[in-house]
Amino acid sequence: MSGQTHVRDSYRPPFHVENSEETILRFPFPFPEDTYMYSMNVEPHVRGGPVEAMSHTFDVDEHYIGECAEKARILAEDPKRCMVLPHMRDAEWDFLELGMDSLSSDYPGHFTLKKEGNDWRWENHLLNISQSFVFGDEATLPQAPFEYMARQMQGDFTLHDQRENDLWMDGGMVTSQADWSLKFDMGMSFRQWHAPVPKASEMGIFDRGLRFLLMLQYGRPVRRLNWTMTINPRLDTSPENYMIWGEDRASVTPENVAEKVHLRVELQSLYRLPRSNAILFAIRCYLLPIKDIMTVPKWRKRLHRVLRDLDPALASYKGLDLYRSTVVEFLRPHDDGAPLSVGIQPE
Amino acid sequence: MAERMGFPASIERVESLTPTLRRFVLSAQKQTFPPVSPGSYAALEFEDGEKVYKNAYSIVERSEDGRDLTVIVRLAPQSRGGSRFLHEKGRPGLPVWVGSVANLFPIVKTARRHLLLSAGIGITPFLSYLKKLRSVGADYTLHHFCRAEERPAFEALLADQDQVRVFVHTELPSEVGLADWLQDEAIATHVYFCGPEGFMKWVEETTHRCGFAPGKAHSEHFFVPEGGRPFEVILARSGRRVAVKADETLLEALEQADVDAPCMCRGGACGACAVTVLDGQADHRDHVLTEAERASGNVILTCVSRAKTDTLTLDL
Repeated sequence: MSGQTHVRDSYRPPFHVENSEETILRFPFPFPEDTYMYSMNVEPHVRGGPVEAMSHTFDVDEHYIGECAEKARILAEDPKRCMVLPHMRDAEWDFLELGMDSLSSDYPGHFTLKKEGNDWRWENHLLNISQSFVFGDEATLPQAPFEYMARQMQGDFTLHDQRENDLWMDGGMVTSQADWSLKFDMGMSFRQWHAPVPKASEMGIFDRGLRFLLMLQYGRPVRRLNWTMTINPRLDTSPENYMIWGEDRASVTPENVAEKVHLRVELQSLYRLPRSNAILFAIRCYLLPIKDIMTVPKWRKRLHRVLRDLDPALASYKGLDLYRSTVVEFLRPHDDGAPLSVGIQPE
Repeated sequence: MAERMGFPASIERVESLTPTLRRFVLSAQKQTFPPVSPGSYAALEFEDGEKVYKNAYSIVERSEDGRDLTVIVRLAPQSRGGSRFLHEKGRPGLPVWVGSVANLFPIVKTARRHLLLSAGIGITPFLSYLKKLRSVGADYTLHHFCRAEERPAFEALLADQDQVRVFVHTELPSEVGLADWLQDEAIATHVYFCGPEGFMKWVEETTHRCGFAPGKAHSEHFFVPEGGRPFEVILARSGRRVAVKADETLLEALEQADVDAPCMCRGGACGACAVTVLDGQADHRDHVLTEAERASGNVILTCVSRAKTDTLTLDL
């Protein structure tokens, strides 16, 4: 995290993303056991956890500047990656407040916030931003409050209105997604936007999940991990750009598998926002290539077992069909079959 | 979670509005109260040295600086002690713990028009609604119903409001023509209602008869858990037995016995305290469970519901 001063990552060709040893070890590896199936794997989003990535409200790592630059580029190419419906105005300010409060208290060396009543001054030392504004007065910011803040944070964010005992996706900024589209999902209900997910509905996961989230309380955020795989370190694997990245899936060979195939993990956290009663859904994406996973014996063995035994319906939904066997074959000689400890910690 | 969630506070001011209504301003002792959305309630805890009371009240106002929260408490004839204690002993300086703050009765922000209907103490959530609806320039009307002798008190509470949008009635809803007004509302109107059970039932039936879709009629039942016949619960996981007295709730008895039971609103409105029933028959008094869930007979909300049988076996 220290010493970040310029953009050194490239999330599009020619790709260039390198992870330090610290970044590898703080990765939120998503498999606590040797097999994987959907579950209500939700836990309180409290400080501390099996890996360092979970130790702050919003995690900032060595890719912060690079990811913010990539986000700005995507938004310039496709401004509709950020949309918020008018009735979510209070939720926008809630989000800005949560972002500024938590970043400045979690990373005082990088972010500073001073408040005098509603006169706020925000400094982002990593992106060289300083801004005085009046909290609640949109005209005093260069962008709408949600967009202003979300541009300065890694990951995607969606805002959900709660009404009729349901949650509605009524806003968001989505630039690092695993093949879903805000433009498509805007205005949808909880069950509508989850409709493409196989099996989980019959398992009752969405009914229980919705019931749980409707009761989510202010000050008690929760988190879960979700995962898929991505070829090349691409943050933006959106349906909008499928013609650009879709064919990557056919490019994996035994020779390039360690470089090209990435385990893509979403550290998802959910917050009740106080003024608006809306829910913030934060989706922070981590990409770790197989070659980096290889350096952690527990993780490479467990990844082998999970991918080898994965339910075919889940593998198809996650888009792994074209290269799953190549990854499994690559990992197999590096798994001695020894029992592994329960939990996601690297050991 | 080891850390106790909530905000230490104390009573700052008490004002008597009517013989049965008192306004309490609570002042935060450490960090300020979070912003609150209109329609939120706060679960308050206070004690008289012997008994700990835990009651949920609508938040009428949070001050701009976050230092104060205002609630209005009605002295209910069937009060099991909490409201009575606040009325009799709730003086400035009394420590109050503000536990969970949540919203089970939010404004529908996408509605084209809001019709607010309240009776008696049921006005409290709407006092926070009115401020918000006015500030965003929404289309809204409030009809409030009360006894003749309380009229001046409620008019005083509403004195700062836009007077062409708020109306206080001392006749019954059926006498002033509320059914006709509901009939005349446009299809995009959302109706919200809060008050005593008789009022709720009348509005529920009338809105249904006028064709309001369930998604456009919203209510908050001010539920004061009542006592009832004593019974005993058997905790299946430990085999322990816990007696529930006539004047305490199942949840309170579990808490008294140091059983880690889930809960949130303590008024039968949120569903957080649902527990699986393994044996015995529940006496459901909540507003959450569906007919199918009641019929299944295997779930109970411990904060308000009781037992029809002498014992209930719970999956705890």
